[in-house]
Amino acid sequence: MRDPDQTLDRAIQTLREPVEIGEAFDRRVMAEVAGGSAPRRPGPIGRAGRWLIQPHVVRVSPLVALAAAAALVVALLRPWERGVEPGAAATQATARSVASAAVPTRFMLVAPGASKVTLVGDFNDWSVDSTPLVNGVSGGLWTVTVPLPPGRYRYAFLVDGRTWRPDPGAPPALDDDFGRPNSVLTIGGS
Amino acid sequence: MDGVSEASDAEFVHRVLAGDTEAYAGLVARYRDRLGRYAMRMLGNRADAEDALQETFVRAYRSLGRCTEPNRFGAWAFGILVNRCRTLGAQRGRRERLQIADEVALNRAADSADPVDRGALREVLNRALSRLAPHLREAFLLKFVEELSYEEMAAMTGASIPALKMRVSRGRAELRHLLSEIDDA
Repeated sequence: MRDPDQTLDRAIQTLREPVEIGEAFDRRVMAEVAGGSAPRRPGPIGRAGRWLIQPHVVRVSPLVALAAAAALVVALLRPWERGVEPGAAATQATARSVASAAVPTRFMLVAPGASKVTLVGDFNDWSVDSTPLVNGVSGGLWTVTVPLPPGRYRYAFLVDGRTWRPDPGAPPALDDDFGRPNSVLTIGGS
Repeated sequence: MDGVSEASDAEFVHRVLAGDTEAYAGLVARYRDRLGRYAMRMLGNRADAEDALQETFVRAYRSLGRCTEPNRFGAWAFGILVNRCRTLGAQRGRRERLQIADEVALNRAADSADPVDRGALREVLNRALSRLAPHLREAFLLKFVEELSYEEMAAMTGASIPALKMRVSRGRAELRHLLSEIDDA
C-alpha cells in the first residue's frame, strides 16, 4: 500500500501539467468576436467609478495642507471626549487583554473503531494534520485541549483521514456551506 | 516572457478598446492554455472545457470596458471562467467519457514514463475529481493546481476566506481518500 500523501502529491503534479488548447481555438474565438458587437467602453458613470478607484496626484497649496493637518490633529485628540483618566485607560487595556486571553477548550469524540482522529476548524485553518486527538486509556474516547481566544468557531472531526464528523455534543453550524456537517462553538469574551 | 508577445495586457486591452479587434488575439493566445487547464480539470472533458473557455473569452471581450485593471486581464478573465465552469457544470453535469476499465492502473501509471500510462493516470484522476462536490473541486484546483492565494480565490469565487480554507481542506482530504481507495483496489 502506498503512502496516501505521496499519491496525492503525484496527483497534484499530474494535474499541474500544461494543457494545450491550440490555435484553432483562437480562430473560433476571434471569429465570434469579430461577428459580434464591439466591446462596450465604459460610460460616464463607469468612468467616474474608475476614476474614484484609481490613484491620482492631488496638488494643494501649503495653506490648505496646513488647515487639513490641523483638522486631523483635532480629530485624533478629540478634546470633546473628556473624563478618561490615564489609569482608566490602562484598566480598559488590561480588560481587553484578559478578554482576549485564550480559554483552554476540550474537544472529545467517541470513536471506538478509529485509528486516527484530528480536529479541523477555523482556528487551525482547517488543517487535517495539525491538531490530533489522543485516544484515552479506556479506548474509544478521543480528546484534545486547545487554547482558544473568545470568538465563534466552526469545526469538525476527521476520522481516519476520510470521514468528516460533526461534534455530537455541539449545535450544527447552520450557516455552513452547502449543508456540510460542521459544529459551532462560541467562547465568551466578556 | 510568454512566447506570445512582448506587449503588456494593458497595451492589448487599450488597443482593443480603441477599435483594434485583432489585438484581442494576443490576449487569447496568452491565456488560453492557462485558463484551459483549469477548465479541463474542473469540467472533466475537452469539449465542455473549450465551450467554457470560448464563452469566457467572448464575454470578456464584450465587457472589456469593465476590466478595471487592464494589466491583470488574466486574473479578471479567470474570474469569468470560474463562473462559466460553475454554470456549465451545473447545466450539463460531467460527461461520462471515462473509459478506463482498470482503476488499479493508478499504481502502474503513476511511476511510468510511458505516455499511455500517464494518460491512464490522468483518467483515474479525472474520475476521482468528478466524485468531489463541485465547490470542493473548485477550491482544491484553485489552491493546489493553480496555486492561487486565498485572497485571489475569494475575489474570484465570492466566498469568504474561512469558507475557502474549509473547502480546500475537505477537498484535499476527500481526494486523498478517493485516491487511496483506488490505490488499495
